[in-house]
Amino acid sequence: MTSPVDLQEGRLPEWAYSAALAGLAYMTWDRLTAVLAEADPAEAWRRVCAGRAGAAWARAASSTSVEQVADAHRRAGVRVTRRGEPGYPSLLAEDHEAPPVVFSIGSLEALDRPRVGMVGTRRTTGYGRDVARELGRDLAQAGVAVVSGLAAGIDGASHEGALAALGGPPVAVVGSGLDVVYPGHHKGLWRQVTETGLILSEAPLGARPEPWRFPARNRIIAALSQVLVVVESHAAGGSFHTVRAAAERGVSVMAVPGPVRSPASAGTNRLLCEGCAPVCEAADVLVALSLETSGSTPRADRRPAPSPEDAPVLEAVGWEATSTEQVLVRTGLTPSRLAVALTHLEADGWVRNLGGWWERAAP
Amino acid sequence: MIAAVPSATLLGVDGRPVAVEVHVSNGLPGFTVVGLPDAACRESRDRVRAALLSSGLPWPLRRVTVNLAPSGVRKGGAGLDLPIAIALLVAAEEVRPERVAGRAFVGELGLDGSIRRVPGMVPLVDAIDATEVVVSPTCAAEAALVGRHEVRVASTLRGLVDALNGEAPWESPPAAPPAIPACPPELADVRGQPLGRWALEVAAAGGHHLLLTGPPGSGKTLLARRLSGLLPTLDRCQALETTRIHSAAGVELPADGLVEVPPLRAPHHGASSVSLIGGGTAWMRPGEISLAHNGVLFLDEMGEFSAAVLDALRQPLEDGVVRVCRARSSLTFPARFLLVGAMNPCPCGEGGVPGSCRCTDAARSRYGRRLSGPLLDRFDLRVPIARPDVGQLLGGPSGEPTVSVAERVAVVRALAAERGVRSNADLSPRRLDQVAPLAPAAKRVLEWRLRTGALSGRGLHRVHRVARTVADLDGGPSVIGEEHVCAALELRAERTALDVA
Repeated sequence: MTSPVDLQEGRLPEWAYSAALAGLAYMTWDRLTAVLAEADPAEAWRRVCAGRAGAAWARAASSTSVEQVADAHRRAGVRVTRRGEPGYPSLLAEDHEAPPVVFSIGSLEALDRPRVGMVGTRRTTGYGRDVARELGRDLAQAGVAVVSGLAAGIDGASHEGALAALGGPPVAVVGSGLDVVYPGHHKGLWRQVTETGLILSEAPLGARPEPWRFPARNRIIAALSQVLVVVESHAAGGSFHTVRAAAERGVSVMAVPGPVRSPASAGTNRLLCEGCAPVCEAADVLVALSLETSGSTPRADRRPAPSPEDAPVLEAVGWEATSTEQVLVRTGLTPSRLAVALTHLEADGWVRNLGGWWERAAP
Repeated sequence: MIAAVPSATLLGVDGRPVAVEVHVSNGLPGFTVVGLPDAACRESRDRVRAALLSSGLPWPLRRVTVNLAPSGVRKGGAGLDLPIAIALLVAAEEVRPERVAGRAFVGELGLDGSIRRVPGMVPLVDAIDATEVVVSPTCAAEAALVGRHEVRVASTLRGLVDALNGEAPWESPPAAPPAIPACPPELADVRGQPLGRWALEVAAAGGHHLLLTGPPGSGKTLLARRLSGLLPTLDRCQALETTRIHSAAGVELPADGLVEVPPLRAPHHGASSVSLIGGGTAWMRPGEISLAHNGVLFLDEMGEFSAAVLDALRQPLEDGVVRVCRARSSLTFPARFLLVGAMNPCPCGEGGVPGSCRCTDAARSRYGRRLSGPLLDRFDLRVPIARPDVGQLLGGPSGEPTVSVAERVAVVRALAAERGVRSNADLSPRRLDQVAPLAPAAKRVLEWRLRTGALSGRGLHRVHRVARTVADLDGGPSVIGEEHVCAALELRAERTALDVA
């Protein structure tokens, strides 16, 4: 980060050139590392403009105004740090795939805490969301910084939980520019994470969420975590990029068990078969972090007990998604009677409706 | 010589009376048709000439002018061939004028002098003001449905002329073929699917539009096709309405001519807006929604229909009629139908089961937007259909047959008739409060749903109507209980499978 004095002197700060370089099309972290290895950012930018790195980048560079890039980042309060500079996260500096330039907003002190990565599928079940939210909440309450990617599904639910606890600050590593909220419905969550924790990216402001950015982003989540928890993942889900990156770095991977027939838990159950430690509650993760687990008392179930008529219906609804038809067949009730029972159970928080499918809900 | 013979032409689903006037005079031999004939009508000159010559009747080598009065109305189709030929024979003094007095003629002529059927016989005959109507034997049953005329049949022009001149007896109308009892698909064929079957029963009983969502192979189409069999057979008035439309559109009618079984129309999802709503440039044809009048319109793979076509359904769904306007004419077609839609929850089809969909978020939300909010709102029943268990498919007992479900449906329809509406779906909000007061427990459930946002204000009345139907099926208590409201809410999943991430 450089002071605006540089601009007044008519000279652009080095970081502005770093940001401009990172913003060129398909500038992956290894290409940027190579470009910046030869010269300092300003010189590297001039070389790119002169066509030394290919005509396509030269064309793109000639239409980019470094002043505007610098201006945008300064106004948004984005910290731009090059590897080796002060202010660059020390955890990443030692990494063998360290990002050459990091864009961040928020306090870097968040990374001084114990850190747990939480990842999982975007196509969740209600179960996955709930578990992610609970784990995020309980971990944050224990003072842990929850590291995740702010994507749809498990990522978002983990951070929702962490924010609700008002404990350890959330740490988000995103694939797009820090001003490009993706997915769009996470706008509020994105803002809260920025305000209370730390948000990091390899991409400058305005970078689109292109598909290639996400696997690369996952290695940073792995590098920042001490323990990686996979909450729910399909058999060949994107979470496995993070799992692989974590394995390379010696970060221990833990997984949340799921129903064996749920496709959304196929990947996590496979991880458990391969010897990952299971996570049934936040305490399991805290033990792996060698943290005390005192203060976590089991929550009292405050829900009113289901009435004798409704209890068989609750039994018939499984912990994995059960269709209304299945419940009808299992209970043998008339549709009207079943509808009443399900309405009662839903009102009291025993079951949850997922568009025609039912799931039991944890207290 | 001049002669006039009554006939009729078709405009949309209505007939318009036409007087066919023929003037034969001295002058250069020629044949002119005036009075806004369309191409098929103008070509009748060649058909009439060939038919007369093949029947051994003279073609006057004089100046012939045919006027189709009133001249301001467009005439279409070949049904005016026969009246033109007869009027010409009268004008040429081959048939005496008193022999055709009080008789109207409708039919197309073949080059060999045979008389053929034309579409729209029911509305055509209905428009004719004469004591007798002469038609082809193949459409005698259809023509007789109107019941105001004596229907005479003739299979050839020669035979008709001989009968008119009293030289041969009239042909006797063909005996009606034995009525083949219509056998709609049987509900007992559906194994399992208790929720789907129940939704079908409620839809048929209350006239509630039904949307079935579910993965491929879950039995949506199987269920939907069985809905028309549950509806009560049409009364005489409804049957005539529907028959007129089917007749005008040239759809094949049952053996006795009258459409008594509620029709089921299932257009393919490539359907254009005009084919569904009705219209056309030269000949205003009723669309699929009118053909489904008093019956069921089934839109399979509803997500694949173009959005504009689906949104065109909104106004007819509300009004029960569709007004089609073109530069040359505007017409009103009846279109009171029960809409049944079936669609997958998402492009990959597996979205129903939480967590098993393979679609991207963008693809899912695009698919979900195919049905506009206002259209989705018109479905009182939105039911997710899951694939049945293997055990039920193979070993389960076969379900209730159509007949016994149809009996319950008929009882509920009769209750609706006592309330002065065709079905509970037509109850106005004010009338609803009178005939379906809510029990305190039922009110509490609705309040809770409204407060938590699971039910919109718009949806409230629809849920109330469905609850009335459910209560009617449950023996018809006057006060709506908690179980009826819960059931109605269950059948109208506001949070459809489309919304669950």
